[in-house]
Amino acid sequence: MSSIAGGQGSVLQEVIKTLVVIVIGLLIGMVIVLFISEEPTKVFDAILTGPLPSASTLDDGTVRWRGMTRFGTFLEDSITLALVGLAVAIPFRAQQFSLGADGQMFLGALASAVVSIYLPLPGIVLIPLAFLAAVIAGFAWGWLPGVMKARAGANEIVTTLMLNVIAIQFFIYCVTFLMLDRQAGFIVTPFFQDAAILNPLIHRTNVTWMIAVAPLVCLLAYLFLSRTNMGYELRVVGQNPAFGRRMGMPVDRTVALSMALGGAAAGMAGFHIANAILKRLPSDFPAGLGFEGIVVALLARNDPRLILPAALFYGYLRAGAQVMERTTDVSREMVLVVQAIIILLIVSENLLPRLGQWIGLGRSAR
Amino acid sequence: MTIVEFFQTLLTASFFAAILRAATPMVFAALGGLISELAGVINVALEGMMLIAAFFGVVGSTWAASVWPEASPLFFALVGAAAGLGAAMLLALVLAVFYLEFDANLIIAGVGINILAAGLTVFLLFSISGDKGSSAGLTSFALPTLPLRLLQDIPVIGGLFAGANGNGHHVLVYAALLAIGLVWVFLHKTRLGLRLRAVGENPDACRTVGVPVKRIQYVAILLSGFLAGLGGIYLSMGYLTLFQANMTAGRGFLALAAIFLGARSVFGTAGAAAFFGLASVFAAQLGLLDVPTAVVFSVAPLVTILALLAFAWRRQRRTRAQVAAELITLNARRKDTPDAQA
Repeated sequence: MSSIAGGQGSVLQEVIKTLVVIVIGLLIGMVIVLFISEEPTKVFDAILTGPLPSASTLDDGTVRWRGMTRFGTFLEDSITLALVGLAVAIPFRAQQFSLGADGQMFLGALASAVVSIYLPLPGIVLIPLAFLAAVIAGFAWGWLPGVMKARAGANEIVTTLMLNVIAIQFFIYCVTFLMLDRQAGFIVTPFFQDAAILNPLIHRTNVTWMIAVAPLVCLLAYLFLSRTNMGYELRVVGQNPAFGRRMGMPVDRTVALSMALGGAAAGMAGFHIANAILKRLPSDFPAGLGFEGIVVALLARNDPRLILPAALFYGYLRAGAQVMERTTDVSREMVLVVQAIIILLIVSENLLPRLGQWIGLGRSAR
Repeated sequence: MTIVEFFQTLLTASFFAAILRAATPMVFAALGGLISELAGVINVALEGMMLIAAFFGVVGSTWAASVWPEASPLFFALVGAAAGLGAAMLLALVLAVFYLEFDANLIIAGVGINILAAGLTVFLLFSISGDKGSSAGLTSFALPTLPLRLLQDIPVIGGLFAGANGNGHHVLVYAALLAIGLVWVFLHKTRLGLRLRAVGENPDACRTVGVPVKRIQYVAILLSGFLAGLGGIYLSMGYLTLFQANMTAGRGFLALAAIFLGARSVFGTAGAAAFFGLASVFAAQLGLLDVPTAVVFSVAPLVTILALLAFAWRRQRRTRAQVAAELITLNARRKDTPDAQA
C-alpha cells in the first residue's frame, strides 16, 4: 500500500503537484457547471467572490461593509476545517487511518456543553474548563481505538467508524433525554451560560479568538512533530514501524498517542462549533465534518504548517458554494464532487507517469 | 404496549419479514465487501456504491417510463436495476483504476468515492427534480415481490414465506439468500475463487507462479461493486420506492464491519449482516417500549468492537503459541544436528 505518511520528495514538488491537482479539480467542476447550469458566469462569480465582503462608500465618506456575515461564515468554517484537518493529519503521519474525527468532535462538543450549561463559574474559569473538557473527551475517544489497534491489532478503520456511531448515538441520547430544553420546540439543549460563550471579534459574525487558537495549535503540532522525541518517534513509526521497533521505540504507545492527539484536535473543533458558533447543541449537530478533515489533511500533505492555508482554501470553496446555491441554479453539493476528485487525484502517487505511459503506448501502437 | 405484547410481535411472520427486509441490503454489501477483502482489497466505498446504485435505480426506471411509455412497470424497474448496478460497477471501476493503476491509497480513495457518491447523487437529484431531499417528485418503479405459493402452503413454517402482507418477499430478499450460497461456492469451489483468496493471502507468491494478481483484484472490486449495487437498488426499489439523500445511512460501513465481525467467512459475514438487520428492527420495536433507540443503535457497533478485540486476542494467543512451538522444535533440532550451529 502506498504511503500517506508524507515527507517524501521535496516540499516544493509536493506543493506544485497539489496546486496542479486543485486546478484540475476546479476545471472539472467548471465543465460540470457548463453542462448543467443556465447561468455559468453567475456560478463562477458566486464561487470566486461570494465569500468576500464588499465595501461601499456612503455619501458622508464613511465606508460600509456588506456581506460580513458570510465572510464570517467562511472564517468560522475554516477554523473548524483546520482543526479537523489536524485531527486527521496527525494519525496519518503515524500511518493510522483513523476515520474517527466525527465521533471525537461530537463528544468534544458534548463535554464542552455540559461544562458550559451546568457549572456556575465566571467566564475566565469556565471557558478554559469547557475547552479542556472538549480536548480531554476527544483525546480519550481517539486513544481508545489507538490502544485497540496497538495492543490487539484491531483494524482502526472499523473501530473508528463504529465508535463514531456510538458517540453520535450517545450525543443524541444526551441531548434528547438528559439536557433537553423543553421550551425550545425542537430537540436542543438550553443556551450556554453567557459566561461560556465566546465573544465575537468581528461584529455580526461568530469569529472569536479561536481564529488565533487554530493557527497556534497548528504551530504546536508542527513543533511537536519536528522538535520533540515523541514527535520524531511518531514520524518514524509512520514511515517504518519495523525500524522503530528495532531501535527500541515504544511503537504501540506511539500509535495510540497519534490517534489520541488527533482526537484532541477534533475535540477542539467540537468546542469551536459549540461555544463560538451554535451556543447550544441541537440533536442534528452536523455529522460528516470529520471526513471533510481528510481533504484538508491531504491538501496539506499532512504538514501542520500547511494545514491552515489548506483549510482557508477549502473553507473559501465551501463558503462560495453556499453563495452559489442561494443565488444560482446549482446546488452546493457540486463542491463535494470537486472535493472527491481532488482527493482521488492527490492520493494517486503514480498518476502522471501512468497516464504518460498510456498515451505513449497509444502512440507506439499507431 | 406491554412486555408480553412486545414478545408476541417478535414471533410473528411479519417480524421475520421485517428482519429480512432490514438485513437484505447489508447482506449484499457485506458479501461484496468480503470478496474484495479476501482478494486483499479492503473496500471502504461500499456505502458510496450502494448510494449511487439506489439513485440510478430510481432515475433509470423513471427515464425508461418516459422513453417507452407503453412498456410494463416491470420493464421500467428492470431498466432501473440495470442502470443502478451499472453505476455501482462504474464507481467500483474508478476505485480499481485509481488503486491498481495510479497507486492511490486504497482507504483514502475509498473515502473519496463515498464523498463523490454523496455529492453526485444530491447534485444530480437537485438538477433533475429541483428537490435536494428525495425523489418524491419523480415516478419511479419498484422491483416486484415474489409469491411462492407452494412454500407458503406448508403448515407452520409456511408463514415465513408470506412476506409482510401475504404476497411473498421481495425478489431481492430471495436473491440475497441465494447470493450467500453462490458467493460461498464461488470462493471455495471455483478456480477463480481459490486464486482470489490466494491473491489476498500472498500476492507475491501468486505473482511468482504466474497468477494475474492485478486482473483478479479488478474482478474482485467489480464484483463487490455489483453486490453492493444490489443492496443499493433494494433500498430504493424495494425497501422504499424512492431515493432519499444519504438513504444508505451508514449501512455500507456496517457491512464493512460485518466482514470483520464474521471473521472473514461467508456465513459469518452474512450472519453478522443479519444480526445488524435484527438490531435495527429491534431498535424500531423497542422505541414503542420507551427504550431510547440511541441505546439500541449502539448495540451493534459495540458488539462489533468487542468481537474484534476477542478475535485479536485469540489470534495473538495463537501466534504466541505458534512461536513458542517453533522455538522449541528449533532448539530440539539444533541439539540433534550439531552442524546446524555452524
